Amino acid sequence: MTESTKTDEKTSAPPATVKTPAATRWRWGALAVLLVLAVYAPFQLAPFYVFQLTMVLVYAVALLGLNLLVGHAGQISLGHGAFFAIGAYTAAILMERAALPYPLTLPVAAAVAFLIGLGLGVPAMRLRGLYLALVTLAIAIFLVPLLKRFEELTGGSMGLTLAKPQPPAWTGLAEDQWLYFIALIVAVGTFLLVASLLRSRVGRALHAVRDNEIAAEVMGVRLSFYKTLAFAWSAMLAGVAGSVYTWVIGFVSPDSFTVNLSINLLAGIVVGGLGSLSGPVLGGLFVMFVPSISQDINDAAPGVIFGLLIIAVMYVAPTGLAGLAGRLIKKIPRKKE
Amino acid sequence: MSDLVVDGLVAGYGDVRVLHGVSFGVKQGEVCAILGPNGAGKTTLLRALSGMVRTRGTATLGGTELAGRSPDTVARLGVAHVPEGRGTFMPLTVEDNLRLGAFVRRGRAEIEADLDRIFTYFPVLKTRLKQEAGSLSGGEQQMLALGRALMLRPRLLLLDEPSLGLAPLVTRELFRIVQAINAEEQTTVVVVEQNAHLALGIAQQAHVLETGRIVLSGTAEEIRADEQVAQSYLGYRV
Amino acid sequence: MAGFLQQIVTGLGAGAIYASLALALVLIYQFTGIVNFAQGELAMFSTYIAWTLVAAGVSFWLALVITLVVSFAGGMLIERIVIRPVEGAPELTIVIVTVGLFIFVNAAAGWIWTFLIKDFPNPFPGGALELGAVTVNFSTLGVLGVVGLVMGLLYLLFQHTKIGLGMRAVATNPASARLVGIRVGWTLALGWGLAATVGAVSGVLVAPLLFLEPNMMAGVLIYAFAAATLGGFDSPVGAVIGGLIVGVAETLAGAYVGFIGSDLKIGVPLLIILAVLLLRPQGLFGRAAVERA
Repeated sequence: MTESTKTDEKTSAPPATVKTPAATRWRWGALAVLLVLAVYAPFQLAPFYVFQLTMVLVYAVALLGLNLLVGHAGQISLGHGAFFAIGAYTAAILMERAALPYPLTLPVAAAVAFLIGLGLGVPAMRLRGLYLALVTLAIAIFLVPLLKRFEELTGGSMGLTLAKPQPPAWTGLAEDQWLYFIALIVAVGTFLLVASLLRSRVGRALHAVRDNEIAAEVMGVRLSFYKTLAFAWSAMLAGVAGSVYTWVIGFVSPDSFTVNLSINLLAGIVVGGLGSLSGPVLGGLFVMFVPSISQDINDAAPGVIFGLLIIAVMYVAPTGLAGLAGRLIKKIPRKKE
Repeated sequence: MSDLVVDGLVAGYGDVRVLHGVSFGVKQGEVCAILGPNGAGKTTLLRALSGMVRTRGTATLGGTELAGRSPDTVARLGVAHVPEGRGTFMPLTVEDNLRLGAFVRRGRAEIEADLDRIFTYFPVLKTRLKQEAGSLSGGEQQMLALGRALMLRPRLLLLDEPSLGLAPLVTRELFRIVQAINAEEQTTVVVVEQNAHLALGIAQQAHVLETGRIVLSGTAEEIRADEQVAQSYLGYRV
Repeated sequence: MAGFLQQIVTGLGAGAIYASLALALVLIYQFTGIVNFAQGELAMFSTYIAWTLVAAGVSFWLALVITLVVSFAGGMLIERIVIRPVEGAPELTIVIVTVGLFIFVNAAAGWIWTFLIKDFPNPFPGGALELGAVTVNFSTLGVLGVVGLVMGLLYLLFQHTKIGLGMRAVATNPASARLVGIRVGWTLALGWGLAATVGAVSGVLVAPLLFLEPNMMAGVLIYAFAAATLGGFDSPVGAVIGGLIVGVAETLAGAYVGFIGSDLKIGVPLLIILAVLLLRPQGLFGRAAVERA
C-alpha cells in the first residue's frame, strides 16, 4: 500500500518537483548562484531598484504561501491579498498604537493571519474548491470597507504612516539595503521552512489531496484536516509577507489591498509556476515588474498581459514558467542518450 | 448483401486496446447477437459503432462510413444506440425523453404518429408521460430507452445488455417487444447480451467475442447447438 | 411599518439585478459545471458596448438589442475559443482560466474606455408609483419587469422549444445527448451565449444605478454568487428567488443593523454564502448536494 502510494505521487507530481540527479545538481548550483547574486545586488543597484527587488521578495513570500495552497494542496484562493493585508495592518497597528519594536510584529502578524486562516478555513474547506474560491473572493472584497470602518484602529481611508526601520549603525547599510536584507532573510527562512515542510509526511499528504482526493481519503489522509492546515499556513505566510511589506513601505491603507492584489497574487503564482519552489520567486518578479514596466503603455496593460498569460499558461504549461524550465532541464540529458 | 459491414475494427481507451480487428456483417432487417464473457469488448464494439470511442478500421451502414465519426453524426445517419446504463435523461419527463429520441428528425406530424406507435409497444409509458424519467422502475426505464431509440426511426438499433438489472419476466417481455419491433419495422438490430439464451432466441446470426476478437460466428441455431461453445463461452448447458 | 415595506421594495429592486447575473452564472453552471468568475466582467463589457452605441446617438432600445446580439455572439465565441481547450480539465484549471478571463476583460475595458466613470442613461422614467405610504420608483418597477421578462423568455425557451429541450438534455446527460444526435459542443457554446446575453441585461440595468466603470460588476458578482449559492447553482428559479432574498436581506441589514450601515453591506452576501454552505450546501432549490470534499 505504501509502495503504490509513493509511485503514484511521483508520476503525478509536476515535472519541476521530479528529482532526477541532474536536475538536483542544476538546482543546487542555480540556487547558490542566485543567493550570491541576491547578497551582491543591493551594493550595486540604485536605491530604487533595491526597493523593487525588496518588493519582489515580499511578494515571493506571499506567493510561497499561495503556492502551498494552490500548487501543493490543489485548493484555490482568490483572496490572499486579504491575509497579506491582515499581516500588514497587524504590524502597522502594533508599531503605531502599541509602539512594539518592529521585529516583534512579524510573529504576531503570522499568528493573527494563521488564526484567521484557520477560522475561515474550517467552514470553507469542508466544501469543494470552487466554493473556497468564491468565499475567499468575497472576503477580499469585504476587507476594504471593513478596514475603513474601524478608523480608530486602522486610520480609516487615510491609512497609517509609520517610520521605516532604521539600520543599526554597525551594519553600515543604507535604509533601502537594510530593508532588502530583512526581506531576504525572511524570504530565505520561509523558503527553507516550506521546503522542509513539503519533504515531510505533511507534504506527501498534501500532494495526495491534490492529486486524488478520494484515493487520499481511502488511504486514510484526513482530508479536511490537511486542507484546513494548508489554508492556515498559506494565510500565515501571506501575513508574514504583509508585515514585511509594512516595514518596507512605511504606509498602509485599505486601497493598497483591494481585490486586485489578490488577483495579481494568483496570477503571479500561476504564471510563475504552481507546485514548484522557484515558482514564487518567478511569480514575485512578475507581480512586481510586469505592472511597473507595462504601465507605461497603458494603465490597463498589466491586466491584459496577466489575463492572457494566465489563460495561455493553463493551456500550454500548467506548471508555469518554473515547470517549463524544469521540463527543459530534464530534456537535456535525455537528448544525449 | 449485408447492410452493416464491420471490417477490421480496432478500438480502445487511451493506450489500452480493447478490440483487435473485428469483422462481421448484418443483413438488413436481421437481429445479430454479440455474445461473450465479461470484458470481451462487447460494449466497446457498440461504442465503436456509434462513435463513442476512437477507432481504426471500417464500419459501413448501407455503404456509408460510420467509423471515425462523432456520436451525434452517427445518430443523424440513422443509428440508435441504447447504451449501458440506458442513457436516460433522469430529471426530464418521459415525454421529453421520447421527444429527444426524435431530436434530429423533422416533420411534426410524423413524430406525433411515432409517439402513438411507441405507446402501442409500451402502453405503460403513455400513463407516465409527465412523470420524471428518474422515477420509473428499471424495466420501465429500459422500455423508455427503447422507445427513445425507436423515435429516431433507426436503420440500425444497437442494444447494450437490455436485460441488465431486470427481473426475468420483465426481460422476457422486453425481448418479445424487440422481436416484434424487428419484425414490424424491419430495423436491423445488434444486441449485446450476457443472457445468451434470450439473445439467441430472437437473433438470426450470432458472434462470440473473446478478448477483443470474434472467436466463433454462425447462425443462432448453430451457436446454440454447439455444446462446447455453450459451456465455455455462454456459461450454460444445452 | 411603511418604512419597512419601503426597504423591502428597494431590496427587491436591487435583488432583481443580482438575480439576473445569478441567472447567467447558473445557466453556464448547469451546462458545463463551471462557475464563470468572468461573468460579471462580461456583463460590464456588454454595458460599455451599449454605452458606446448610445453615445454615438443610437436610441437606447436599439442599442440594447444590438448589445444583446453582440453579447450572445461574444459568449459563444468565448466558449469556443477560451473554454473549449480546457473542457474536461480539473476544476482548478477551469476556475483559473475564468479568473484569467476576468482579469483580461476588466483590463481590456479599461484600455478601450479608460477607468474614468461614465454616466449611463436610465431607460426608465424618473417618477414613482405611490402605493399608500410606499413609494415604488418606476425604475425599480422597470428592473423587476425586465428581469421577469427575461425569466419568462428563458422559461419558454427551455420548456417549449426544441433547442431548449436539447439544452436541457445536454445539461442532464451530455453523453446520452450526443447519442440522440445533439451537437453538444454547439449547445455548450449556445449556453455561454445565452448567459452572456442575460448577463448583459444585468449590466445595463445596474449601470444607471452605479455609474459605469470597469470595476462596476465586482461587487455585483459577489451578490450574484450569494444568490446562486442560496438558490442552488443548478436551479434557475432558485437563482432568481435567491437574488431577491439577497437584495432584500442586504437592504434590511443596511437599514436596521447599525453596525453594517451602508458601507459594510458587502458583508451580507459573504455571510449568506458561508451560512448556506454550512447549513444547506445544495441551496434552497438545488437538486444535488454539492460534493463535499
